[in-house]
Amino acid sequence: MKWFSDLLWDVLTSLKLTIACLLALMVLVVACTLAQVPLGTWGAVEVFMYGWLVWWHPPGTDWAIPVLPGGALVFAVLLANLISAQVRRLEWSWKKSGIWIAHLGLVLLITGGFITGRAQRETQLSIEEGQTVNFVESPREMELALIDRTDASYDDVYSIPARSLARRESVAIPGTPVVLLVKGYFRNCDLAMRQPGDGASLATQGIGPTVTVVPQPPVSRDEEIDRSAAFVEPVVAGQSMGTWLVSNGLGKDQSFSAGGRTYSIVMRNLREYLPYAVTLKRFRHDVYTGTDIPKNFSSLVRIDNPSRGESRDVLIYMNQPLRYEGKTFYQASFGKNDTLSVLQVVENPGWRLPYISCVLVVVGLLVQFGISFRRAILGQASRAAAAEAGRRTHATTEA
Amino acid sequence: MRRLTFLAAAGTLLAGAAGCGRDEVAHYRVPKEAPSPEPAARPAAFAANARPSGALPPPPVPAGSAALTWTLPAGWTQEAGGSAMRYATLRAPVAGKIDVSVTVLPGDAGGELANVNRWRNQIGLPPVDAAGLQSARKPVRTEAGTLSLYDFTSEGGEKRRLVAGLALVDGNSWFVKMTGEAGAVGQARSDFLKLVESIRREVVQ
Repeated sequence: MKWFSDLLWDVLTSLKLTIACLLALMVLVVACTLAQVPLGTWGAVEVFMYGWLVWWHPPGTDWAIPVLPGGALVFAVLLANLISAQVRRLEWSWKKSGIWIAHLGLVLLITGGFITGRAQRETQLSIEEGQTVNFVESPREMELALIDRTDASYDDVYSIPARSLARRESVAIPGTPVVLLVKGYFRNCDLAMRQPGDGASLATQGIGPTVTVVPQPPVSRDEEIDRSAAFVEPVVAGQSMGTWLVSNGLGKDQSFSAGGRTYSIVMRNLREYLPYAVTLKRFRHDVYTGTDIPKNFSSLVRIDNPSRGESRDVLIYMNQPLRYEGKTFYQASFGKNDTLSVLQVVENPGWRLPYISCVLVVVGLLVQFGISFRRAILGQASRAAAAEAGRRTHATTEA
Repeated sequence: MRRLTFLAAAGTLLAGAAGCGRDEVAHYRVPKEAPSPEPAARPAAFAANARPSGALPPPPVPAGSAALTWTLPAGWTQEAGGSAMRYATLRAPVAGKIDVSVTVLPGDAGGELANVNRWRNQIGLPPVDAAGLQSARKPVRTEAGTLSLYDFTSEGGEKRRLVAGLALVDGNSWFVKMTGEAGAVGQARSDFLKLVESIRREVVQ
């Protein structure tokens, strides 16, 4: 057992492993850049950088073969390598304090990358003038939402990430007697009105029986979104409610009643509800006089947060985002003849770490340089003193 | 032993990070939202609509409440459908490769920006952003409402051109598109614009 831990320790602390990780990162960066053509920016980053392994699916098979370590794995190994080597090789002394600080900065930098990759959420808040919205939506991810609309004053929303439907046969909705049987899922598809020659639809309820679903490959361009669809059969306390087609391309939700409750079911952009509400009071799109060249985009919004007893106006404009409750709201886009404003909403719990790590690395290098410089100055002084003493001894002897 | 502990801790952290998933069912209790119009009641409205003489033969309409119709320019012909996605295929009396179609999809069909960039991609042009979309858009007033019209021509020796409009009517996205060789599209453009301006609402019986 000891020989194994020694071997593992040697490998984990070796400089060769560091170089191998850096080489792997170079390969990943190039591959990720090239893959942006077929996969789009987000798709490529997700496959090559956020994944633990990069998988290859041989055409015509169900196989998945790992061909490269993913960015997450390489950075994890690099982090372990950095920490292990630090523990093994560097001594605990003030003479090495600069290196310790610089290494801590590097560790924080990689940790910040992990936190960003795992926890950062980019969403959007689309809001029309006069409208009040209490949720943000993912521009790329979809959700299958089951909404219990029975109560007169509130809705219970149960959200299932759409991509998880691909590997699920059923989803039990916690706290309800509803189980959703997943009969088909299409990450991207075209919807067409059903023609006489089309085959039978899986759907038996709602708009589904009149619509044909034609599977399509996922979109790759950043400005496009998938039109996802699924056939789902709600079963309430053992009783089937029929099979429904849901899709963000249909735009509307569909309803059924069972057990004295009324449910809506809809495929839509993945939502995150906020504990506060945002109202767009005015959107401005100014142009330079006599041209169509944009000069300014701004949104005057009101934030109503009952938990803080807060109601205040905020002006969001280019490069002047609103930072509120861990989220940053940037002016991003607009539409509907300048009556619709789209705010990009970014939430990243690790956003400060890159700044802290850069400061630590700079401070660490300065400290280490200062220590070396001081040592060099002191050494030079002691050498000069020794030479002077030697000369005096020599002069005395000569005299 | 200390090394083993260190390695085990690192492995546990990695496994924990790998296992972080976002697939669970999330629950929110939110203030009442206004329910959307009920599409489950729609199939009855999918029945074939009445057809006014000399105008568009209307196939099934997604939202059921209204269809669009228009007046064909002289010499133009049309047929219903033409492919799975099409509402109608139109033929313009010009030489050269040209394709004119009307498509209707439920909902916003991905939004205006995505559709315009899809069109631009079809003739080899790069995508535009929201500001580019705004400057390229030409509103055309019709009896059915304002339609956003776009006119793009590709680069290179063999130029292709696309003139297309889209409108959201009663929750359905309507697309009227003419695309093909730049010369042929240019010849048919004025008639196509007349056709677009003649678009009107046809109430479903």
